[in-house]
Amino acid sequence: MSAEPAKNDVSFQEHEEKQEWWWIAEKRRSKRLDYLRKAVWKKGALGGNYAPGIKVDLDGPKLFTDMWRFWKFDPVMMRRAKSLAHVLDNIPIFITDHSQIMGYWGSAPHTISWRVDGASMVNEELYNEPGVMPEPEEESLRKVAEINDYWAGQTAVDKLARILDPEDAVKFLSGAIGWGAPTSAYGYSGKNYEYFLKGERGFEDIIADIEKNIEEAEEKCVGTPGPDILPIYDRIQNWDAMITVLEAAIRFAKRYARLARTLAENFETDEKRREELLRVAETCERVPAKAPRNLQESFQLDHFVQILSRFEASEGAWPARPDYYHGPFYEKDVLVDKTLTEEEATDLVGEFMIRVYEVGGFGPRWAREGMQGITGTWVWTIGGVKPDGSDACNALTTAFLRTSRLIRVSNPTFAFRWHPKVKDEVMRECFECIRHGLGYPSFRNDPILVANCMNWHGHPIEEARTWVHQACMSPCPTTKHGVQPFRMASATANCSKMVEYALHNGYDHVVGMQMGPLTGDARTFTDFEQLFEAWTRQMQWLLSLLVRTVNLGRYKDPEFYGRPFLSGITERAVESGLDAVSPVGERGNCWITAFTWVENVDSLAAVKKLVFDDKKYTMEQLINALESNWDGCEQMRLDFVNKAPKWGNDDDYVDDIMLRCLRTMAIHSRVMRCTSNNTWPAAPQNVSGNIHYSSVVGALPNGRRLGDALYDGGISPGPGLDKKGPTAVLKSCGKIDHVSDGRAFLLNQRLSPTQMAGEKGYQLWRAYMRTWADLGLDHIQFNMVSDKTLRAAQRDPEKYQEVIVRVAGYSAHFVDISRKTQDNIIQRTVHGL
Amino acid sequence: MSTCSECKSFFSREDEQGKGDCVLRVVDPRQAYYKTRPVNPDGDASGCESFQKK
Repeated sequence: MSAEPAKNDVSFQEHEEKQEWWWIAEKRRSKRLDYLRKAVWKKGALGGNYAPGIKVDLDGPKLFTDMWRFWKFDPVMMRRAKSLAHVLDNIPIFITDHSQIMGYWGSAPHTISWRVDGASMVNEELYNEPGVMPEPEEESLRKVAEINDYWAGQTAVDKLARILDPEDAVKFLSGAIGWGAPTSAYGYSGKNYEYFLKGERGFEDIIADIEKNIEEAEEKCVGTPGPDILPIYDRIQNWDAMITVLEAAIRFAKRYARLARTLAENFETDEKRREELLRVAETCERVPAKAPRNLQESFQLDHFVQILSRFEASEGAWPARPDYYHGPFYEKDVLVDKTLTEEEATDLVGEFMIRVYEVGGFGPRWAREGMQGITGTWVWTIGGVKPDGSDACNALTTAFLRTSRLIRVSNPTFAFRWHPKVKDEVMRECFECIRHGLGYPSFRNDPILVANCMNWHGHPIEEARTWVHQACMSPCPTTKHGVQPFRMASATANCSKMVEYALHNGYDHVVGMQMGPLTGDARTFTDFEQLFEAWTRQMQWLLSLLVRTVNLGRYKDPEFYGRPFLSGITERAVESGLDAVSPVGERGNCWITAFTWVENVDSLAAVKKLVFDDKKYTMEQLINALESNWDGCEQMRLDFVNKAPKWGNDDDYVDDIMLRCLRTMAIHSRVMRCTSNNTWPAAPQNVSGNIHYSSVVGALPNGRRLGDALYDGGISPGPGLDKKGPTAVLKSCGKIDHVSDGRAFLLNQRLSPTQMAGEKGYQLWRAYMRTWADLGLDHIQFNMVSDKTLRAAQRDPEKYQEVIVRVAGYSAHFVDISRKTQDNIIQRTVHGL
Repeated sequence: MSTCSECKSFFSREDEQGKGDCVLRVVDPRQAYYKTRPVNPDGDASGCESFQKK
């Protein structure tokens, strides 16, 4: 199905002048991509609610729970493997018209999957969710109740909660200081792509390796008795579990092959579609059982792995490097063998992204509000370098960028690993995506981040160069010892609480509880050093609490959850017979996501300036004003907004405080150790936590009131507070050492679409990017949609369904995010370069 | 009693005797697709809304 030729070039020009890129995309993409793109049931919550028609899938949970109950005497890995196999063998599957890539995490296109064994408190949320129960509702509610009754007290989080320190648990569950759950049931799984996605092996090869390991282990078990034999018994059971689920995965793929063949032979009348279905059948018979031979098989293997992983756990991120791993097949099929035309390849590339866009799972309201418009942070890594340091960009890199402008999905998005050898033609493709208002790719400074990987976690340079985004921002290698099998989102800190607690002696006036340590009544502080010492102690306490919880969750996860499929695709687990989640053999790649960070800096600077330096106000006055949420103190509040220096203006007064805070935190990041005895660096960024936490963070000395949106980025200046232009923003951010001060630093920038038009616009942007690179920043991302368009979309959302914006570490359709988030994006300063 | 194997939507598996798939056409508000689930050839189809005699 080829692209329809442009019927009217004038209309293209008109759309371009009005920056209505979505209309251009619709006219330029093939009929197939147009159908598939419009066929998607969007799973991302609108503000916080699921779209009409979206239903929770109950087939998978029922099948899983039935078998889990049946195999109650098996160890957890095997029990999960058998239960998962039962789901894969029996859950309804489907093939959408015109599709060529198979696999969905649910029993029908409009369903969202529900992870029943992760956390009872998430399961209970299902009762409060209007409209998502399949009809007949009463019967569905009965099914849900049966499932919930069984899992109550038995989920991974329930088990962990019983051994957590009670005080830690209560403080974490207050929702004030962090989010997420300390279990791999909802983790961000890294993938050992270097093991299974290089076109060298299929699951049958892995099974053969495991069988050999079992054989050798069994021989040892009948040998000379001794303590060295004892762990082997558990490992054999783990290996058996891996085989069970890998074999089920092959059968799952063959169900698609059988359906495609049945359709081709019995239903399809169109000869071309019949050929496609037979090719689909051949593809699904081939992968994941055997190594892929062409682009379609390579994409299909990858997609099956991602879907199968989600049947095992609700993976909240989608670490991937598709151009690097599939690029050789693209170049072979399109450029060398010419078995695929560019148009045919574009259809495959586009559908590969669309299949991801449709994936979604049920999440509690707080998670949906924190990631409005999407169901997970599917940030795909493209570009970068090969292990030898040479440019890794290939023909598929640009194909992905071009195709993304045709299909305009908000998930997955791209993050581009920029390095000095990137060719201009690739940068132009990146720029075109931004100019078309996608908000992606974001840009990552590859030399800086490779050095960062080596600095914080000791990854050797060749391994560091394989890095992918494990979630929105943090790099992780894809190698045997470098890959982090999963990262628990609960190491996510609501950092504004550090300064809030420092000012209130550890007491949280919003949740009404003593949270942090007693660091003294701030009314009695007589100099800035006393305040900074209190801040340091609150920071250390807050991060330590989250990290303790995650470390324990990670340590106990093989016992409380178990990941047989993830283990089966992870080299060190296949080799050792241990759950992939076990830290044995892992170098360590932890990080703390630092939400709402910059408020600390602007608040501390404001107190230093107006209380201790200028002595315009006393601490007594300030604390009273904060406790009353600035009520009756408007002039004072405006002074704290306007007369105190703000981050992002190349002002050393406040920038030095940023550096001091980061470096104090970095010291603690090296004191805290992960389960692999490695470090815990922080990565300031927000997803859309700046909105979620707006009603949780109290009044602050930067002039913020309870309820006001927090700043939008990890190191982005406050909206409208960066008054000295874009270069000053870069210069402030450039004072940070992006290798040693933390793991990654998110910077949002808004540019004027009018100024960025044409070749002149591109050259201006390139010059700006050169400054960005020279200053050593690790990240930057752009919104380039005008206020006029965004306000029109607020007034008339039906007409602007396809406008995409960069929220924080992800993109979303503008109409899918809450009004507060929309306003927050519009308020960001539009910079002229 | 009607059984699944008597239905137009039933397709037996060549490689697995005694097993079959129910294949149905679905058109929802956004897309059209074919879906399948495993069924027992001797399964009771008397209450099945999709049953169509071969």
